[in-house]
Amino acid sequence: MWAVFRHQLRRFRGSILGWGIILGLLAAAFVSVFSSIDAQMEQLQQLIQQFPTDLFAFFGVSMESLTALGLLDIKFFSYMPMVLGIFAVAAGSGLLAGDEEKGQLDLVLSHPVSRREFFFGRVLAFLAALAAIPAIIWGGFAVAIGQTVLDVSPLQIARPLVSLGAMVLLFGTLALLLSMVLPSRRMASSVAGLLLVASFFITGMAELDPGLKAIADFSPFSYYQGGKAITDGLNVGWIIGLLVPAVVFTLLAWWRFERRDIRVAGEGGWRLALPGRNRPARQRPSEARQTL
Amino acid sequence: MAEQLALTIHGLTKSYGKVKALRGIDLEVQQGEIFGFLGPNGAGKTTTIRCALDLIRPDGGSIRLLGIDPQADPVAVKARTGYLPGELQMDDNLTGESQLRFLNELRGRKADWKYVRELADHLDLDLKRPIRNLSKGNKVKVGVLQALMHRPEMLLLDEPTFGLDPLMQQEVLRLLVEAKRNGATVFFSSHILSEVQAVAERVGIIRRGKIVEVAGTHTLINRSLRRVRIQFRDSVDPAALTRVPGVSLLKGGDGKAVTLQVEGEMDGLVKALAAFPVVDFETERPSLEEIFLAYYEDERNSHKEAE
Repeated sequence: MWAVFRHQLRRFRGSILGWGIILGLLAAAFVSVFSSIDAQMEQLQQLIQQFPTDLFAFFGVSMESLTALGLLDIKFFSYMPMVLGIFAVAAGSGLLAGDEEKGQLDLVLSHPVSRREFFFGRVLAFLAALAAIPAIIWGGFAVAIGQTVLDVSPLQIARPLVSLGAMVLLFGTLALLLSMVLPSRRMASSVAGLLLVASFFITGMAELDPGLKAIADFSPFSYYQGGKAITDGLNVGWIIGLLVPAVVFTLLAWWRFERRDIRVAGEGGWRLALPGRNRPARQRPSEARQTL
Repeated sequence: MAEQLALTIHGLTKSYGKVKALRGIDLEVQQGEIFGFLGPNGAGKTTTIRCALDLIRPDGGSIRLLGIDPQADPVAVKARTGYLPGELQMDDNLTGESQLRFLNELRGRKADWKYVRELADHLDLDLKRPIRNLSKGNKVKVGVLQALMHRPEMLLLDEPTFGLDPLMQQEVLRLLVEAKRNGATVFFSSHILSEVQAVAERVGIIRRGKIVEVAGTHTLINRSLRRVRIQFRDSVDPAALTRVPGVSLLKGGDGKAVTLQVEGEMDGLVKALAAFPVVDFETERPSLEEIFLAYYEDERNSHKEAE
């Protein structure tokens, strides 16, 4: 399992550094900018009052929360699940199905490693990647905060990142499960991505329209604290609420992976077996060589 | 007897939706032999091999590889086998060496790296180059190398020479013979009949998901039809020869040059020829390719009849 873990983590190395460094620099830049305008916050609040209040309500932010940390919440943490969610969904859907569609799993799984070890080796590497990126972002925050007069500790700034990690893990594992159920990785990442975007908007809209509150209760974004975790502390119940389905999705994906045929080009169908659809799957050029 | 069998397959069936890929495969491969698995693309060769490695699950039947049920203990089976997929795909970002080192880690670092380098030299393969920069043939060489590097007891190779130039095809076949000499059982699929004929001791022919023939390569060639060309000093009546059971006339000409087809033993014909002044006598055995095509010709004919 550890050989699989190390190999997969090496493959994630570029993504971890790319996403981590860019978002870490962005975090540092936001901290610097917002702390520098903190002194002029009174004037800024007067300016912002000119904007429609609904815009802020969408993000669950009141005018009273317009401080440097409040702005950090609006401008950084509220979008982060969408941004990092792109990585989580892409990596989750490709964790097994990506190599399977490329035909690489056939060779690797012909080696003496059980499917369970292989699956959890890769999932652990995925978890490590999802932990490493927020850790690098936290590094960016920690360095920038040290240069400002903001009254926030590195530990406090880690709280929203924990909430962020749980949130993207949920969508990453959902993408993983869908990749084991749906006929292609692309379809799995599209469905998981759509659910991510839908969840973001439903939660935001529910702030404007209380009638949507009942639906928003089912949206994972409703349990994402974002920047509020800095001042309010972590809501452990919400974190667990996000992690439990992630664990369930992972276990279901494992169950499915243990039982399924490993596909290679030309075998089986890549399309959903919908009623009335009997045409064979269209083959890619590389699949043209029949390998039954 | 059972201990001498490296691979036993009974009643193996597998379908992909409505497509029946395997329709009850029965096959036995002896330990220490080179077994050629012949069939055209789509006959079921790859499916059979992948079932044996638990990469796909059969719908019915049983498999024992080195005495182990691959579905019950796939890791034990894979630890003792080397496999080359027909559609070989590797991580393009790795070099040949990094790919082999990763696969060796999965094997608990069983491979002797000196032997790996030796094999790479034999195959004229540069392991430092990234896989994305390798030609199809060189990728196959990496695939062959990973299958052989831990000196497995059983080799399951799906079209091992596909994409290689003729010299390298010979080298790979030589490595298979060497593996057998070191005690390994080699089971390889191919649709290149000459290579099967060159190294395989026994041959299984698969057609539309069913085994239609299993026999020693030479037995298969020997027991089939032979072509005999005879040159007589004087013109003879071919009817005197075609009266011999199993002999039929292919070409009579002027009675001096006769081409016959002989089924079974030659004894009757040789005795019949003793009565005539023979100038030259030439026999020609069919290649495995002709035998193989004959099986498919039979199939086509039976289809036509059915229509």
